[in-house]
Amino acid sequence: MMRKFFAQRRKKKTSPFSQHMQQRQTPELTLSPNLADNLELFRTLLGNPHDLLIRTFLIGNTNHTCAVIALDGLADSDMLHNQVLGHIQLMISTSEKSVPPEPDEIIQLLFEEVLSVVEIKKETSLTAALDCILSGDTALFVDGSSELILIDSKGWKTRGIEEPVSEGLVRGPRDGFTESIRDNTVRIRRRVKDPNLRFESSWVGTRSKTELIIAYIDDIVDHEMLDEVRRRIATIDIDEVEESGFIEQWIEDDFLSPFPQAHNTERPDKVSASLFQGRVAILLDGTPMVLILPVTIGLLLHSPEDYYERWIVGTLTRLLRYLAAFFAVFSPSLYIALVTFHPGLIPSDLAFSIAATRDGVPFPAFIESLMMITTMELLQEAGLRLPKPIGQTVGIVGGLVIGDAAVSAGIVSPVMVIVVALTAISSFAIPSFQLAIAFRMIRFFAMFGAAIFGIYGVILSLIAIMIHLSNLTSIGYPYLAPLAPQMPRDWKDLILRAPVTFLKERPQALHPEDEIRMRTGDSK
Amino acid sequence: MSAQTLSEKMISKNHMGINIASVTVGVGILTFPRALAKATSGFDGLISVVISGLVALLIGWLLAKLAARFPRQTFFDYTAIIASKPVAYALTLLVCLYTMLFVSFEIRAIGNIAKQYLFYSTPVEMITLSFLLIVQYAVAGSRIAMLRLNLLFLPVVLVVIFFVLVFTTQLLEIENIRPYFSSSWKSLLEGSKAVGLSYSGFEIILFYTMLMRNPEEGPKAMLLGLFIPVSLYVTIYIFVIGVFSAEVAKNLTYPTIDLAKEVEIPGGFFERVESMFFTIWIMTIFNTCVMWLDITILNLTSMFRKVKKMVWILALSPIIYFVAMLPQNLVDFFAFADAITYFGMIIVYLCPICLLLIAIMRGVKGHE
Repeated sequence: MMRKFFAQRRKKKTSPFSQHMQQRQTPELTLSPNLADNLELFRTLLGNPHDLLIRTFLIGNTNHTCAVIALDGLADSDMLHNQVLGHIQLMISTSEKSVPPEPDEIIQLLFEEVLSVVEIKKETSLTAALDCILSGDTALFVDGSSELILIDSKGWKTRGIEEPVSEGLVRGPRDGFTESIRDNTVRIRRRVKDPNLRFESSWVGTRSKTELIIAYIDDIVDHEMLDEVRRRIATIDIDEVEESGFIEQWIEDDFLSPFPQAHNTERPDKVSASLFQGRVAILLDGTPMVLILPVTIGLLLHSPEDYYERWIVGTLTRLLRYLAAFFAVFSPSLYIALVTFHPGLIPSDLAFSIAATRDGVPFPAFIESLMMITTMELLQEAGLRLPKPIGQTVGIVGGLVIGDAAVSAGIVSPVMVIVVALTAISSFAIPSFQLAIAFRMIRFFAMFGAAIFGIYGVILSLIAIMIHLSNLTSIGYPYLAPLAPQMPRDWKDLILRAPVTFLKERPQALHPEDEIRMRTGDSK
Repeated sequence: MSAQTLSEKMISKNHMGINIASVTVGVGILTFPRALAKATSGFDGLISVVISGLVALLIGWLLAKLAARFPRQTFFDYTAIIASKPVAYALTLLVCLYTMLFVSFEIRAIGNIAKQYLFYSTPVEMITLSFLLIVQYAVAGSRIAMLRLNLLFLPVVLVVIFFVLVFTTQLLEIENIRPYFSSSWKSLLEGSKAVGLSYSGFEIILFYTMLMRNPEEGPKAMLLGLFIPVSLYVTIYIFVIGVFSAEVAKNLTYPTIDLAKEVEIPGGFFERVESMFFTIWIMTIFNTCVMWLDITILNLTSMFRKVKKMVWILALSPIIYFVAMLPQNLVDFFAFADAITYFGMIIVYLCPICLLLIAIMRGVKGHE
């Protein structure tokens, strides 16, 4: 009953999406039967570029002029030689049939018999042909016919598959996504041999025409969510899209939030695991960063390794990470609060030694922390942008300046250095870089709270952050699920990572259509 | 949004129970052992806690029944159905006044306690104002998100109180709890009244049942919601009396916080645990406060549908703040608290029970 209802809605919802995609096409230009005119038109449309390859030739004894057009570098020239030009010329010499006199018949012959290419189609629209040529296809004209053949000859150089730079693991697959969307879909297909895996292709960017693929597993994903994703992607109206970050920012729920509402990853194993959980992945051509939607706080704090290691290791690592999240946000503000407002809360021996080390430091704890945390942010940013050989210099300079020199110059206290180090290390322990950035932002918020109201300000800022997170959604899904709203069934994969044999259901928070992961367990 | 997502916008039975527990556990729990120790002698206070808990449960059950009769209808709506529009306007306005005063009380309580345990020079006015701003922020968001905060904060608070209790177990002296069963009936009832004030809050079921997925589960939610505070109060009372003895407890302003003061964490990582304890406790007072303000707004918008939520928040906050600043000292403040609760007893206990009787007699029922 429910399924039928959804299936009907699914049909209804998909149609406006495809209509919308069609509406974005530019006005149609049709082919003329005259080859020279067509070639001229292509040249003028593209501004007579030097990388446009045009090869005209005659077919056999019929005196019909033919031409192939492709863009140098985008099209695979080996393939053009062997499978296209070579075959056409061979046909003329070996075929027992004579070449038919009519150009349309020649096209038909070429299309059906001669060209040994898998992906091939006939086209009458010049605009569509132009788009295809710009994405690496080859067009084959025959003089006198108002049709052309488009041959898929995409074959540009791509980067090899490398280990993901931004998400390292000790244990786990080493392959990462690349800039080529085709390679990326392959990486997912290699892992998900489920016939229900769907790749829904469209393009975004009115000028850049970047290919975008929505990936999901049809009988797991919540179709309401999928429709919402489609609807939001259809609203994207921008001329160029370089990176999936553009998509993320177009479709996010709350643009004022410091928290990421789409997760990006370059790990195919993470994407396939998310698809099996009932999430949606968005792949974009030209970037190795794949978006995963919807985001729940768990997705950002978990690492694929939690599942690859044994459950005790996974659980303890997660506990450590939640602790790191707390330290990353609140350790400087707690330092400020304790030193400035509530020295009584610290054990007296420690309070004395802190006071002794702070003796001679000219600034209040708040200014001291602000300086140190800002310096750390600077170091982190500088380290990111620098070429690798110079990167080490930053480490040395930073380590010396922040650590030793600042203390001996009497600008900061040694305890402050420890606090900064703890904060930095904790924020590096967060698996998602985007979440770590969010934490870096709200850290300042908490520091201001602590500077004004001490520990009371810290708890107020914690409450404010929780209010924000509780209100936050990702594609309409509560960000804090399964904590709030409470879904106790999901808790075995939240802070605790239960043994894999216990993880029988998919996360309830994502409303998967197929909730059960392990059916064999039931029959036992 | 889908049927599933829509159902997530409603609250379940357990969630309602946690809401009730969150709203009940607030400032009252910090002070009630004092009033109870004053009224009864030592151990017998427990009987008072249980008696008033049962009375609260009975009233709560009746209120839940009333609200469940009219699913998806606001308090104002069903009062209007039962007892005509003018009565509904008058009663709802009085309820708004009550809940608003309660917000004032809670924010002032935060100010007072924070001043006593956390600050030396920061004025109460600023402490209270900052808290009110956070409360506004919470109420300004979506209602269901606000209620979900209870799910996040209540467990934290319960864990903290559990730790405090664990660490004070060694200080417990059975001698302090004696004598048993020495109080007269009169003093027991007196004690019950004193604790009863700390149970106020469960009447939120009148207003939030309309958000429940199955409104008929309201009474069960009430049972769960009151079970947490009753067991908490019983345990805390035993500990306060056991650690301090009734004589000392009488003279402590906030006996529960002072209980935390006795905690010594092995390893000496923290001193003055009571400050930490109260800091965490702010979470639950915050929950109480937010729900009261939200109910005020909910009732006002149910009467005046054209005025936006934000307008009410901004219009009411100065009044709430002003009222909160009126009591000059602790004596004034607690008198103010008692006055509100007595007022509330008539408005949110007596009147709704009358409404329920009328509804049963007239056979009025809401429809889904």
